[in-house]
Amino acid sequence: MNNAAPRTVLAARGVARAYGATIALAGVDLDIRAGESVAIMGPSGSGKSTLLHALAGIERPDAGSIRLDTGLCAPVDVAQLSEGERSRLRREAFGFVFQNGLLIPELTAVENVAMALMVNGLGRRAAIPVAAQHLASLGLAGMEDRRIGQLSGGQAQRVAIARAQVTGAPVIFADEPTGALDSRTGAEVLDILLHSTVRQGRTLVMVTHDEGVARRCDRIVRLRDGRIERDEAATPAPAVGMAGAASPARLQGDPPAEPRPSVAPSPWTYRDELRPQPEPQPTGDSQGAAARTVADRSTAARS
Amino acid sequence: MSALSIAATLARPDRGRRAPMLLTVGAYAVVSAIVLVVTAGALSFAQLEGEFAVLYGSLAAFAVVLLVVPVIVLGAAAVKLSARSNDRRLSSLRLLGASTPLIASITIIEAAATALAGALAGVALYAAAAPLVGLVRFQGEPIGGAMWLHPGVVAAVAGAVVVLAAASAAAGLRRLVISPLGVRTRATTPKPRWIRAAIVVGLLVVMNLAFANLAVFQDAGVILGVLLTGFALCLGALGLIGPWVVRVLGRVRLRSAETPDRLLAARSILENPAAAWREVSGLAMTTFVAVVGGSGAALVDAMSRVELDPSNGPFDPTARFFASDIMTGLVITLVVSFLSVACSTAITQAATTLDRADLYDGLDRLGVDQRTVERARVRAVMTPAITVSVIAAISSGVLVLPVLGFTMVMAPISIAVVAGTVVAGMLLIRGSVSMTSTRRAAALARAA
Repeated sequence: MNNAAPRTVLAARGVARAYGATIALAGVDLDIRAGESVAIMGPSGSGKSTLLHALAGIERPDAGSIRLDTGLCAPVDVAQLSEGERSRLRREAFGFVFQNGLLIPELTAVENVAMALMVNGLGRRAAIPVAAQHLASLGLAGMEDRRIGQLSGGQAQRVAIARAQVTGAPVIFADEPTGALDSRTGAEVLDILLHSTVRQGRTLVMVTHDEGVARRCDRIVRLRDGRIERDEAATPAPAVGMAGAASPARLQGDPPAEPRPSVAPSPWTYRDELRPQPEPQPTGDSQGAAARTVADRSTAARS
Repeated sequence: MSALSIAATLARPDRGRRAPMLLTVGAYAVVSAIVLVVTAGALSFAQLEGEFAVLYGSLAAFAVVLLVVPVIVLGAAAVKLSARSNDRRLSSLRLLGASTPLIASITIIEAAATALAGALAGVALYAAAAPLVGLVRFQGEPIGGAMWLHPGVVAAVAGAVVVLAAASAAAGLRRLVISPLGVRTRATTPKPRWIRAAIVVGLLVVMNLAFANLAVFQDAGVILGVLLTGFALCLGALGLIGPWVVRVLGRVRLRSAETPDRLLAARSILENPAAAWREVSGLAMTTFVAVVGGSGAALVDAMSRVELDPSNGPFDPTARFFASDIMTGLVITLVVSFLSVACSTAITQAATTLDRADLYDGLDRLGVDQRTVERARVRAVMTPAITVSVIAAISSGVLVLPVLGFTMVMAPISIAVVAGTVVAGMLLIRGSVSMTSTRRAAALARAA
């Protein structure tokens, strides 16, 4: 049995960012360990979105360092990477779920998920079946060809979650992922997000205003005026608006997303993860059964 | 009065609106200058005398009519961009409880004011271009002072541009939903039907038969009437078949799309084939005019060489210049038409990138290379542009097949000039797509 402490995936030291005279981050130190879920909370203007953007390489901080060490490749300082390198990092090592989904409206659900693989170099014919498997594992079998406008808010967020996990990214960033949803749908989406990330060994960093959502995570980091005010273990809250929420058992199979080490590592290459899994071969009438078969096969392929 | 004062308050440009506003004013300036130059050129033929005077006048009027479509498309694109660049302000007003008539009044006042600024700039552009265009020779002499229009005509043209812009804005508002949460376009995208293609094929067959048997009609006026009617019908047919062709093209492209930019381009064409067609419709019509007009001009050129042979007896002195004048008029029409299409492409793309700025910003956050998005946007415009041009060229070539074959042998230089103009026009349109950038739009969205 291995009792070693989980690796620190992200280590921020003295991260500072200002917009003109407004200080958004005033020297933040933060460690995020592999496989944990961290909620970043704080009042408006406290710097929580800026911190998430800095950790994810969306914005470069004015000062400080952000060490990324996924164990799959050599550690890098995100803050020192060029614009192009940060883009590549976001594409290959991170997954994102935003409040408004940021899905491409003219693409179908499956094409939106496949797009994450395609921008990493996989052809569409190979990417579509993999994307379809992930959609099925999140309960969206049969909705692959729907446009985003034909999906409900909760379904669209599931598509966004599938897109975030399809590349096998070890770190998922979520910015108010349930903010635009009603409480019941929000709880379902949160369940799915936690199930498909943390419970698959991935790391989840989430910005939220919702105390109930934050308490579903392992840790809550509270910001005020660009500084960490408190960093505490989350205490589970009684479920509010959770009636009927999707439990993991209700999902149609586990997402096939456990990351594994890259065979031919470039600084943060996960391209081997993008290889398509064998196409599902349903053995029964139930889509759920078919999805489980695929998920089981994917899990077996990794072990 | 309150609409006027609110519009005046909203008129203060900010960083995000400066570029779209300049583009809109520039578009109206180009439209005004084009209309003024073409009107001056057409009116200059009124001073001609002799056998060809009526023919010159008719052809000039025809050229003016041909420019109506690209100029209207350009005006409509300018209106859309104007509304898009102002959407946050209009939404805020809606949030404050502004009524629909008030919002409509503000939009129309803004469009008219922008068009007025553009029209004034257009008059300046016309004044700068008139001496240069005056060097163009018709009937062996430069147009010269005939390029200067009466101030009353100039004022009438500028006024017409403003009125048309206001009317377009009023019509365009029906397609926009301005709510407190933002401005969006009504999603009414009827599927183009194959029956349109059948109608067009039938029309082409009939017109081809009519054109092949023109000798049946004895009177030159009737022949000209048949030619112009056939021409107009074929242009109308292109409008009918265009959206259907673009949709089929999108589907074919989608099936073979393996890379992100190809997939995005195919899907964005299929999202609204009618809109994709509108963007390139002026180009299809211009190509159609180029092939039919080019064949006609080359035919006249070849025939004039026979007629002007001294051994064939005396000839009207104006006939000596007729062939080269037809070619000059055609090339000018093509250049002006391509300019209009390029301007409307730039304007439409500016409106589209503004529309999708949040998405471009989001894709950038996800790590999608901006070059991929940019390539997709260029493909979404240029693929239909090239395809409809080729289809327009083929269908018009079929229409005038005997003439085209004859002129390719007898007057290859004339055909080469027209083909060169079309290629230059396509390059101009490709350049106009590059005037807007998804990167800039994403940066604007982030700043907002």
